[in-house]
Amino acid sequence: MRGHTLSELREGYSFMLPLIVFLGCFVLLPVVGTFVTSVYQDVTFLERKFILFQNYRRLIGDADFWRALRFTLLFVAVSVPLEMLLGLSFALLLNQSVPLRGLLRCCVLIPWAIPAAISGRTWELIYNYNYGLANFLLARFGLSDEPINWLGSSAGAFASVVLSDAWKTTPFIAIILLAGLSVIPSELYRQAKVDGANFLYRFYRITVPLLKPTIIVALLFRTIDALRIFDLIYVLTHGGPGGATTSLSLYGYRYFLVGDFGYGSSISVTLFVIALVLALIYVRLSRWSTELT
Amino acid sequence: MMPRILLVSLSAFLFLSLLGGCGRDRGADVTFAVGGAPFEIEFWEELIAEFEEESGISVDILRQPTDTDLRRQGLVIPLNAGKSDPDVFFMDVAWLAQFAASDWLEPLDRFLSQKKIDLDVFFTDVVNLADRYEGNLVALPVYVDGGLLYYRSDLLTRYGYRGPPRTWEELVECSRTIQEGERAENPGFYGFVWQGAQYEGLVCNFLEFAGSNGGGIGQADGRIRLLSAENREAVRFMYDLIHRHRISPPNTYTEMKEEEVRASFQLGNALFERNWPYAWALHQQDDSRVKGRVGIAPLPHFPSGRSASTLGGWHVGVSRYSEAKQQSLELLAFIVSYRTQKRLALTLGWNPGRRDVYLDDEVLQELPHLADLREVFEGARPRPNLPYYTQISDVIQRYVNAALAGETTPEAALAEAERELAEVVERYGQD
Repeated sequence: MRGHTLSELREGYSFMLPLIVFLGCFVLLPVVGTFVTSVYQDVTFLERKFILFQNYRRLIGDADFWRALRFTLLFVAVSVPLEMLLGLSFALLLNQSVPLRGLLRCCVLIPWAIPAAISGRTWELIYNYNYGLANFLLARFGLSDEPINWLGSSAGAFASVVLSDAWKTTPFIAIILLAGLSVIPSELYRQAKVDGANFLYRFYRITVPLLKPTIIVALLFRTIDALRIFDLIYVLTHGGPGGATTSLSLYGYRYFLVGDFGYGSSISVTLFVIALVLALIYVRLSRWSTELT
Repeated sequence: MMPRILLVSLSAFLFLSLLGGCGRDRGADVTFAVGGAPFEIEFWEELIAEFEEESGISVDILRQPTDTDLRRQGLVIPLNAGKSDPDVFFMDVAWLAQFAASDWLEPLDRFLSQKKIDLDVFFTDVVNLADRYEGNLVALPVYVDGGLLYYRSDLLTRYGYRGPPRTWEELVECSRTIQEGERAENPGFYGFVWQGAQYEGLVCNFLEFAGSNGGGIGQADGRIRLLSAENREAVRFMYDLIHRHRISPPNTYTEMKEEEVRASFQLGNALFERNWPYAWALHQQDDSRVKGRVGIAPLPHFPSGRSASTLGGWHVGVSRYSEAKQQSLELLAFIVSYRTQKRLALTLGWNPGRRDVYLDDEVLQELPHLADLREVFEGARPRPNLPYYTQISDVIQRYVNAALAGETTPEAALAEAERELAEVVERYGQD
């Protein structure tokens, strides 16, 4: 990494300059701006004044904030591993040479290509109490006498959100892992077979170690994405019932809507810090895993 | 060399178009933000074209979505930044106080007396309780709304009832009888559908149940009172409708908003419906299963109370930051004029903010139900006229919804809500 000449450096940075300018304008500035807003009392109908960390102090005593945080973290903890598991299975299946593999790969990608607002609406119709597909199937196969109010209880709404999210984002993980799988040299497997290693042994000794960096990248993307979940919930449950599925982004958004920009910003900054810490952990993890191999 | 030139010009083009997108073409005198269903916006375009011709003032229409929250978001952002457009816009009655207290609205009193516009032609209580903020008139009603009871007149007659129920007790009794009878053929039939999902509509419904029992949101010496025997009884009754009497469907507190409620009634799956007046025209459409079999009445009340209807609707105002105030005020005068309001009633079925239109022969011939609506609107109750009303509503929605779900008792829900409301007042009620 050492020994670059000055002109090399200059050339390198000039290539990166557009990206740096872009990220600076559209990422760094808004983040700094949000942080600045969060230390003000910035309510449309009150005088703007500097209040340092009062918004954050208010967060600590805000039971709804903790509830939203708990929901968001729980959502990440349940949905990401589930999607990882499903995504890995899909990737392994699609990596086999089966007929129509290209078509299958395309089909798996479809849910990922549908905007979250639309898939949210679709799932809402599936869970609908009166005319939803889920209750229709239950009645059709005689599994339940009465229709089930899927989104009616906290647990039901949580499970519904996780399921809808898994349906939508599993393909994303599958595709990333598939890319990771395709670069593992097939000679390794062939050789292992010659040595008499069975499928499980090959999976744990070849696939998992070589796929680890890809898994970590997929995890990083999914974790951060899941932390900021907004659109799906906005459409599907609107944060209900009784606020049980309100994520941090949705909670912050509510304050922007009613004109309390300061408090809304402090929620956004908190979410940003959580995402940043997790991202740093993952980056550390990926370095550590590449150093090992 | 060629590809490089191509690349450079392409990126220059992208960059410039990005910059270009930020500036706005300010060709017209006035920007008018209007949202709603596409057919409503189209009619506004027609009206505005006429206004442009008559007045010589050019107007740019800024199309807004149908969703109320998104419309609000589309206004809060430019106004908070002090942008000069939009100049004229519609506001839901529930956000009027926030807009007024944020000093975003141009006071209208002087202009109205200048133009000799008589305030008496509008609903008095609506103007005084909703459009006035700290003495200043800041908006005028364009569309007035209030909660109503819709009933299936054919079913009431068939089961030997003489008219719609006047008290909640009668409604429960009537619903149980007819529900039992109708379930034989239609197992998904319910007695009474209303808005119980966690959103603004729930607060409107709660205020009607509570108001018809002499309760509501009490405001006294800077505090908000919610925990009263009347309110407790009202929430308990709302819970009972779903869980004890079982005349309201179990998804009342999860899914039931205006459109879900309307659909269920319009498909013939309910005897009574609480909804806004807009549902009337839709129930009478040709594809409606209840066409010609619907009646409207004031909402029922508790034995000791009187029927209560929550005031809703849209109001028009002019931005404080407008750079064309005189022209904007002219547009406002056009929007609230007798002629425009009458056409809105006849074409869109809107309930005008002017009460004199309700006496118009032509209007009454087309829309006979407006005669009944006028009375409902005269007595409709506004929601608290506070800039932080949305935060208050948010708290009430959450706790009442939790009580309906059975996650807490009505008593505990109201007590907790009142405690949290005190915090809201402390935070936002300064000055």
